[in-house]
Amino acid sequence: MKTIQLTVNGKEMTLTVEADQRLLDVLRNNLKLTGTKEGCGEGECGACTVIMDGAIVNSCLVMAFQADGKSIQTIEALDSEDGSLHPIQQAFLEEGAVQCGFCTPGMVLSAKALLDKNPTPSKADIQEGISGNLCRCTGYHKIVEAVEKAADTMKEGGESHGTARRGTK
Amino acid sequence: MALRVVGQNEIRVDGKAKVTGKALYPEDIYMDNMVFGKTLRSNRPHAHFTLNLEQASQMPGVLRIFTASDVPHNAHGVLFKDHEVICRDKVRRVGDPMAFVVAETEKEATAARDAIQVSYEDLPAVFDPEEALKPGAPLVHEQGNLVYRFKLRRGDVAAGFQESHAIVEQEYRTPMVDHAFLQPESGLAYMEEDERVVVCAATQYPHFDQLEIAEALALPTEQVKVVNPAVGGAFGGREDVTMQIHLALAAQHLKRPVKTTYSREESFYAHSKRHAMVMRLKTGADREGNLLATQVTIYSDTGAYASWAINVLRKAGVHATGPYVIPHVHVDGYSAYTNNPYAGAMRGFGATQIPIAHEMQMDALAELLGISPLEIRLKNAFVPGSVTATGQTLSESVPLVECLEAVAEKLGLKQSLREVSP
Repeated sequence: MKTIQLTVNGKEMTLTVEADQRLLDVLRNNLKLTGTKEGCGEGECGACTVIMDGAIVNSCLVMAFQADGKSIQTIEALDSEDGSLHPIQQAFLEEGAVQCGFCTPGMVLSAKALLDKNPTPSKADIQEGISGNLCRCTGYHKIVEAVEKAADTMKEGGESHGTARRGTK
Repeated sequence: MALRVVGQNEIRVDGKAKVTGKALYPEDIYMDNMVFGKTLRSNRPHAHFTLNLEQASQMPGVLRIFTASDVPHNAHGVLFKDHEVICRDKVRRVGDPMAFVVAETEKEATAARDAIQVSYEDLPAVFDPEEALKPGAPLVHEQGNLVYRFKLRRGDVAAGFQESHAIVEQEYRTPMVDHAFLQPESGLAYMEEDERVVVCAATQYPHFDQLEIAEALALPTEQVKVVNPAVGGAFGGREDVTMQIHLALAAQHLKRPVKTTYSREESFYAHSKRHAMVMRLKTGADREGNLLATQVTIYSDTGAYASWAINVLRKAGVHATGPYVIPHVHVDGYSAYTNNPYAGAMRGFGATQIPIAHEMQMDALAELLGISPLEIRLKNAFVPGSVTATGQTLSESVPLVECLEAVAEKLGLKQSLREVSP
């Protein structure tokens, strides 16, 4: 057992974790933040992607004690309490970038980490940004289009939600 | 008629829940007083076995270890009831379930599962569908290894080959393939106050699952409720039940919610695969490249259990000519049990394997005749009015020629196209 202090979705907390718990287990089992998914448990699929101190990590490869002192963002942090969506989420919806949905939280967070650093990414930047996330339904084109659309929306109107359409696709 | 949805840009109903992470997949469901199950699986392809549960049942947290003798009607399967819910004394593949251990925590269930002592007595095994049909082959199931025999006859292939100028004869093999849906199997079962057992599992067939659970537990179907939460991909791999009956059985006995979640590795062991096929094709064409005859033999490997073996082989056989008019057709198909992982539905359902073969034949014939791969396809392509080998007259959408022309144009093959088109 070990006590760690961390910030999850803006909330500071002190948790007692077991030595063999992964960050993924703490998020899902202790905090019931089940939007973070486990697809493979070995860092291949990216379904468990979360943002840790601004960078994306596979939470299945981060031991809970390694998250001590860190700030974690999960998918649950993105939409507002009034039910309005983050522009990335809105763009995923509108572009049909969601199929089975199991990769979606990780994809959205990878897109967010990318856009936070680079608000005007090229298509290649986006492809690289989501290269650690597998979509087994193989809906990659629409996912890339959704990230392009979200980038445009965020550039134009900050958090105002996406009626902007790309001129060309 | 006014169309409300067709032609509109509609937002999918489950989209918002999925982009916010609120959609519940089975592993996201937690219940008070919930306990955990783990499956003991065979690591031998074909063996008799006995279990020693003494040590495992004394392990901390263990509530019960379910074995074959706990299952009232120990059989399930989508077409043939050839799966045992929990194997009694024989395993037919690596991954066959031999016990279902339920404990207070997942860790305790895993530790107890690993503490079960298994004694195997290996049996001769067979891993090739053609070998499996030879006299003296090890019997995967007592009634024999042939699951299904497919025959298709049209015209007279001997005469067709006689008239042929070019004949290509080749063998093709396609491997088993896993669906690798992103969400590994997970499920949860609990009892309702009226003694109804509820199973929540990501499935492609909740109504089939209900029947299979009810039959195996000897319950009336109205005593079984199947809830299908969000499904993290399936591609055919969730058509056969995996843990659904294990969970229902455990919840029924323990009167507590029981959950199990497979790891990615266990998921590979647990569910079906695409059928591996051996395909032998002999195809003949005249000097101009018009197809005259094809003789096809298919061996389809259904592994340890039948699942959809019949339907999958039938589809492969029906599609053996490819989308081409061939007057003389002779197809023989055999689906056989082996000790490989069992095969079932996967994307295409038999229509995925056979194109590897018939399209390679087309390329080889074109090369032999000195014409382009495009030309030989355009010459023989189905068009509206064509009659298939099974006698169907194609009367509606048959856009193969348009498709080939569009592809040829994009590839810059317009020149060769003009030479071919009338």
